[in-house]
Amino acid sequence: MEGNDDICKKYKGLSGKKFSFIILLLVVLFFISLIALSQGASSLGFKDSFIALFKHTGLAHAIIWKLRLPRIVMAMLVGCGLAIAGTIFQAILKNPLASPYTLGIASSAGFGAVTAIIFGGSFHSEYLIAGTAFFFALLSSFLILGIAKFRGSSPETMILAGIAIMFFFSSLSSLFQYMGTLEKVHEIVFWFFGSLSKIGWKEIGIVSLMVFLTIPVLLRWSWDFNLLAAGDDSAKALGVNVTKIRMFGIIFASLITAASISFTGVIGFIGLVAPHIARMVVGGDHWFLVPASGLIGTILVLAADTLGRTLWAPQVIPIGIVTSFIGVPFFFYLLIKRKRGYW
Amino acid sequence: MKRYIAWTFYLTLFICLLISRKGASREKKEANCIRVKDATGRIVEVRQPVKRLAVLTSDALEIIRAVKAGDLVVGVYSDISKDPLFWTGLTHKPKIGSWKELNYELVAELDPDIVICYAQRPGRDMEKRIDPFGIKTIRLDFFKLNNLEKEVEALGRILKKEKEASQLIAWYRKNLDFIREKLKVTNKSPSVYIEGDSNYHTTGLGSGGHDMCVFAGGANIAADLSIPYPEVTPEWILMKNPCVILKITTLSTCNACYSMINAAPLKAIRNKIMARPAWDNISAVKEGKVYVMANEIWTGPRAIIGISYIAKWLHPDIFEELDPRGLHKEYIKKFQGIEYKGFYVYPGSN
Repeated sequence: MEGNDDICKKYKGLSGKKFSFIILLLVVLFFISLIALSQGASSLGFKDSFIALFKHTGLAHAIIWKLRLPRIVMAMLVGCGLAIAGTIFQAILKNPLASPYTLGIASSAGFGAVTAIIFGGSFHSEYLIAGTAFFFALLSSFLILGIAKFRGSSPETMILAGIAIMFFFSSLSSLFQYMGTLEKVHEIVFWFFGSLSKIGWKEIGIVSLMVFLTIPVLLRWSWDFNLLAAGDDSAKALGVNVTKIRMFGIIFASLITAASISFTGVIGFIGLVAPHIARMVVGGDHWFLVPASGLIGTILVLAADTLGRTLWAPQVIPIGIVTSFIGVPFFFYLLIKRKRGYW
Repeated sequence: MKRYIAWTFYLTLFICLLISRKGASREKKEANCIRVKDATGRIVEVRQPVKRLAVLTSDALEIIRAVKAGDLVVGVYSDISKDPLFWTGLTHKPKIGSWKELNYELVAELDPDIVICYAQRPGRDMEKRIDPFGIKTIRLDFFKLNNLEKEVEALGRILKKEKEASQLIAWYRKNLDFIREKLKVTNKSPSVYIEGDSNYHTTGLGSGGHDMCVFAGGANIAADLSIPYPEVTPEWILMKNPCVILKITTLSTCNACYSMINAAPLKAIRNKIMARPAWDNISAVKEGKVYVMANEIWTGPRAIIGISYIAKWLHPDIFEELDPRGLHKEYIKKFQGIEYKGFYVYPGSN
């Protein structure tokens, strides 16, 4: 009994540390949000921006509520969504390199956007681009699930199918770009860079619906995700419906990814690196890993966007580029540190 | 044996004579070459006369038609079929590639004297590949206002259409001079935000759009930015508070303004811009000075039409009698030999 008490005590101590880390992330996020809120082309400083939050009219109110806040909120949503989607993909595919990009979801969303830009004609609009990007992102995940159903839902099958889909849609995008005029090719390139400038509250409503409806379900399955790490057979022996978890995990993670990138364009690496950073600190327990990873993703994208719009102001360095600048060095760091065996 | 040696000697002599004749004729042909400077600043030797032309860009094709050399065209760019009404009589010609890529086998088979393309695209290997077939590459942009006259003149020389080229240059010069002279009476330069197809992507120093804005008497708010086509934040535009917003578009127009039957797609774009969050605080939006312009009259052979519209929007008091639509009609009829059709700006289409 004493031994059990000791284990419980140790577990509580560890959980307390993990909980403290999540609280720390929330504090960091709060301060970065304040910095992001106070940065912009107008002369609104830290104090004025904060005051404008509680105003209902005037230019300061318009700047904060219609321009800065939508951008900040969307950066947070996209960062959180992509990071959580990455965590889920890594868990269900049992692969540290899995991310929304490995399964071809980003490249198929890109193909959707390219199709809308090239063939949209007079119907061309941001919503058409976002809609087709969303549709193709989901289509790719259903294709993977279809193949998995036919060949068995092993992680290897899914990853290979995802890589094949990624190359297929990338090639289709290249073909359509090749067919495009100079102006359309420009627009496609800008879409792939990623941007948060076009975001309004309507878009935020759609994305937050996807993110916040799926997160509770994914958190509820955190124990099942933990058991998947021990292998499919062990998970099955402990009562986990592996096929169901894998299928719905992919659907939910794809929904989040599709909603996030369809409005903002491709934002790379967050879905890959945020789960790794979180795992290094809180370990593999998805009850802590999912929120920690989501918060790290939120902080990374918000920081990247704030840097992107202030470093070279008024020119904006596209968010996709800045996140990659943060992500690539970190990826090298992970490769070097891999022997520590946190995965 | 002696007979064989004699025959070999005569045969060798005959071959040498043939080669020397061929060399002489090549020298003769080279004597018919002219040297022209292309858009890259490179001097190109072009054998005369040029009887067969392949064209990879719509800008070049428009100038070729303007100097009455359309009948020399034997190959055109693939996208021409998207605008069949404007390019009447040319859409059935063999499609030899796009602005970024050439179909080498098709071109070799078509055997034009020259291929006209942009300065930067397709890449430099194009010359290496088609030179051995005796096909010259001429790189002319026709989308930079400052180089337009020089390029038209060069094309006129290449095609032996100097008279027609000078008529076009004279027309350009007359209309540009008119705007330049009129602007001398004012010191005002209303601030302008120019936006391309992609939202919040503007045109900075070094872009053709900036040159047009400045020529029309406007002050581009992005003039100090170091990237030609940067993304900017809506907040920065709001803070700059431009007097005029100019949106350039190609996407709303089903690829061809010439075939448009009303200005509704252009109007829809304008409405969207005016409804952007917080933009009701910008002077241009408050005063309704938000204009949508089709790419056809933006940087390119018809830049003067675009400039005329911008000048009139920026300085309505000075350019009261300026009729950009009339000018456009004149150009289309006189230089393109077709009927004026379509919608190119909003508001102010009619």
